[in-house]
Amino acid sequence: MTKDERTASDSARPPAGEAPTGQGPPVLASLNAGSLGVAIGFAVAAAVMFTPFFAPPFLVLLGRSLFLAMVLLLAFVGVQRLPERFLPFGMPRWLATVLAVGIAAPLGTFVVYLLSVGGSVSAFVGNPARMTGFFIIAGTALVLGLVITLTAQLREREARARSQALEFELERSRLEKQAVDARLALLQAQVEPHFLFNTLANVQALVESNSPRAAPVLASLIAYLRAAMPRLHEGEPVLATELALVRAYLELMQMRMPDRLRFEIAVDPALERLRFPPMALLTLVENAVRHGIDPAEDGGRIEVGGVREAGADRLWVADSGVGMAATAEPGTGLANLRARLAGFYGPGAELRLAEQSASPPHGLRAEIVLPR
Amino acid sequence: MPKPAPPRALIADDEPLLRERLAGHLARLWPELQVVAQARNGREALALFDEFTPEVVFLDVHMPGINGVEAARGIGARAAIVFVTAFEQYAVQAFEQGAVDYLVKPFDEPRLAATVQRLRERLAAVPAPASPDLAPLLDRLAERLAGQLGAAAGAAQGPRHLQWIRASVGASVRLIPVDEVVFLRSDEKYTLVVWAGGEALIRKTIRELADELDPARFVQIHRSVIVALPFVAQVVRGANETADVHLRGRPEVLPVSRSFVHQFRQM
Repeated sequence: MTKDERTASDSARPPAGEAPTGQGPPVLASLNAGSLGVAIGFAVAAAVMFTPFFAPPFLVLLGRSLFLAMVLLLAFVGVQRLPERFLPFGMPRWLATVLAVGIAAPLGTFVVYLLSVGGSVSAFVGNPARMTGFFIIAGTALVLGLVITLTAQLREREARARSQALEFELERSRLEKQAVDARLALLQAQVEPHFLFNTLANVQALVESNSPRAAPVLASLIAYLRAAMPRLHEGEPVLATELALVRAYLELMQMRMPDRLRFEIAVDPALERLRFPPMALLTLVENAVRHGIDPAEDGGRIEVGGVREAGADRLWVADSGVGMAATAEPGTGLANLRARLAGFYGPGAELRLAEQSASPPHGLRAEIVLPR
Repeated sequence: MPKPAPPRALIADDEPLLRERLAGHLARLWPELQVVAQARNGREALALFDEFTPEVVFLDVHMPGINGVEAARGIGARAAIVFVTAFEQYAVQAFEQGAVDYLVKPFDEPRLAATVQRLRERLAAVPAPASPDLAPLLDRLAERLAGQLGAAAGAAQGPRHLQWIRASVGASVRLIPVDEVVFLRSDEKYTLVVWAGGEALIRKTIRELADELDPARFVQIHRSVIVALPFVAQVVRGANETADVHLRGRPEVLPVSRSFVHQFRQM
């Protein structure tokens, strides 16, 4: 999905992911300088080779062999560029090409001879010398044509495999870059100042009023900050750590809006040791608060859940907030999260967004699906 | 002239601890001031203001529904307004004029004392001096706030391109980011959406979608087909002014009909 891929061209580029033996249009075959050069080269060589043995002068022979070479080249290119649906009997393209060249060689030679005798079939068939010449030339054209055709097909296949390998390589490095970018973005924007200062203002209020809640709230804030600080050197991150972070965050938000936020965290204990990219679940929970609960005057409820199923681990964050407009610009948070999941688990990992209720559109459910 | 009644105040903030804290400090710093009402959002603030018409209003900028700046516009010059905010970057700028005061959360008591001093002076000047016209300032501020909360206030900003496609998948309504959509094809009454993670039928027609999707990314190539350009691998010209679109990493081949083929000409 990079920018440069937006230009569609009908020049030779195979669709990504196609099997090397696939049916798509060919990479190499086209009427270009290369194929023209090969055809002319062989035509000249044949004319030079045959001149000592044939009656007509070199230039005449060269004209004939060039004509023949062009006929074969056109047959080859023609079949190569033929749209899929015009291939007869659904035969593979290589077979159709070989057949076309095989038929064009004697037919082309016949036309050459017919022209040389002014179009009279009897004058041609009645002359044994001409018949011998015809068979020699047709035979040579057939053998050379088929050898060149098969070689070209082989090279075509190799080129296709190479171009595909290149494309896979490109895709892989693109994914890696995305993952690195996402990690970088994560390290840069850890704790939002608004969140921090608003939370501190609340803690200040509790401390000043000598509230017994001050100490546990401060503990939540410390737990949150510790988890949210960038850590470059650390052991394998697991879901249990992430859940502690999510709980600390939700407790802080609940202190700030006790009348508007309710939450529940219910995750299968079997998932606690699951390898998990730090801040991934928190991103979803923060989104639920910021875009779901906070804009709602009456607030709502956030449910964090997770189950281990036969085929996949599933984690979700569901809110009963205001939902999302179909034109809402997706923030960088979700794009980063997708990239991080892909970087961490490979392409099988999925982030799904769904509405809690369709009509009226209400609440959002974000689900991370990790195939096992 | 009758003896002035004790001044009254309204506090609006969606975070109750912060309302309480402000009320507590005000009680200590300005005992005559009566906090007559506390609002949890902009709508409540406006209703309570109309009910009590207090002389002083403390407004949190970031509130659900109607935010503080919008509420201030509703109140206008009828009261001395103090903004309370954690969004200091623009508040500082907007209120340097001294027309109203602002407090950046978390604030301390000396800072609040300065605000109280300012409010007392303002109320003591009888009759109240003509307030400078705040409306344009507030309009500008509201715009900037909308910009900052853009994601939350999404729909408010006129027609935009579709970013999510709602599609029923099983029992749930999935939200498919348009970035992942490969192509859309009409299928009798419905439209088939095909994206990286699957496919689903939606009720919108190709015609509606063609209007709503970003034309820089989505191109209609057939009466019944829209394709996402980043997923186009190549366009193969066919007979009769038509063409076929081959997709990146997908087996489907999409038809380009004659009336749409010109779009690929210049490429």
